[in-house]
Amino acid sequence: MNLRQLLLVAALLPVVFPAAAQSRRPQVDLACEAHGMGPLLDCTVRLRASDGRPLTGATVTLGATMPSMPMAHTVKPVRALPTAAPGEYRGQLTLEMSGAWAIEIDLAGPVRDRVVRVLMAEECEGDGRCPAPPARR
Amino acid sequence: MPLEQAVGVATDIAILSLLALSAYLVLLVGRISFGQQAYFALGAYASGMASTLAGWALAPSLLLGAAVGALVSALLAWPTLRLSGLNYAVATLALAEMMRIALMRLHVTREVEGEIVGPQGTEGFRDIRWLLENDVSPGGFLLLCLGVLGAALLALAWLRPRRLGLALRQVGHDEVLAASQGLPVLRLQLLAVAAAGALAAIGGGLYAHRATYIEPALFDPMLGVHAVGYALIGGLGTALGPLLGVMFDIGLLEATKVFAGWRMVVFGGLVALFLRFRPRGLLDEATVHRIGAAWRQFRRSP
Repeated sequence: MNLRQLLLVAALLPVVFPAAAQSRRPQVDLACEAHGMGPLLDCTVRLRASDGRPLTGATVTLGATMPSMPMAHTVKPVRALPTAAPGEYRGQLTLEMSGAWAIEIDLAGPVRDRVVRVLMAEECEGDGRCPAPPARR
Repeated sequence: MPLEQAVGVATDIAILSLLALSAYLVLLVGRISFGQQAYFALGAYASGMASTLAGWALAPSLLLGAAVGALVSALLAWPTLRLSGLNYAVATLALAEMMRIALMRLHVTREVEGEIVGPQGTEGFRDIRWLLENDVSPGGFLLLCLGVLGAALLALAWLRPRRLGLALRQVGHDEVLAASQGLPVLRLQLLAVAAAGALAAIGGGLYAHRATYIEPALFDPMLGVHAVGYALIGGLGTALGPLLGVMFDIGLLEATKVFAGWRMVVFGGLVALFLRFRPRGLLDEATVHRIGAAWRQFRRSP
């Protein structure tokens, strides 16, 4: 196969294997605060449909992994349960140590999606709580 | 362990096994590379960009990643393979860090349906959503990862008794002796290193599509050290060795959470112990030979 044939094959690939269909995604807001020496991370997820209305009836699963060691520092995924507020879900993750964690929000039900937010989780003394802000690099 | 989590752990094992196999391939020709994470990263970025920015399907995206991984790996190996053992290992680490830092400067974005997608330097590369958009289930993706890993293992098993496989092992045992026997040592090492780059890149491409989010910090030297650690713990006697190393670390230590935050410390200690007492790992050449002999005897017995 010469160079011209290779280029032709490369140009045809997107035609042979069609591009993925695009979809309108929900808006996902995540707010977490850490407490304890684990630390434990209390997370609230707010979902809105693309038209701005609260997204109810979704199955929300929270997972976490340390970006500094992909696939090797993960925590057991937990289900975030709906609260009284429409479109709001809450779950608690038990982290193994403080530091930057990528929080994986998996959505199922009316919409299937995965959103990742990187947070900086610190250990807080005693019963103190501290916000887990977005990690800045 | 819930099924959902078990599928996730098994997928991680399959993806990391590809990275461990790439480190194993380099070890097979007598070199240590602490830089295989760079090709994992290149594969992740290249295939992620192909599917997200260019709209390619997963298979050609992974193939593109593999081609980029193999090409860059071979290009960098050409001058560095002339270095001696330790110097080569340091060079691979330095080049991998150079590539990781270069990825921090990579900004290639495009607007898709009102959202900016593509690598954005240290902010990472979000929304690699091919699996979600094409409704690929976690179980289906696990099967794909296992298929790719199985194909790689079969290829290595097929190669093992062949002339090329034996020549690669000969180079790994003694470069000088191999050269004196007329083997093209540098060319064989280049071939192994390029194949290792492709394997790592395919693993990276699978990882990017599974995670949907990648950033340069993911591909730090720790990942490369682990890849070598998996091969060393599992053993160099067969391509199943690195798989054993990954299963031991991720399957046993990580999935059971026995040591929680101390797992890395335990893993590091184990690598040190193995290097002391079983320098060629659990499944070393002698053990593989013994197992093979016992199997042949079992088959012959009435």
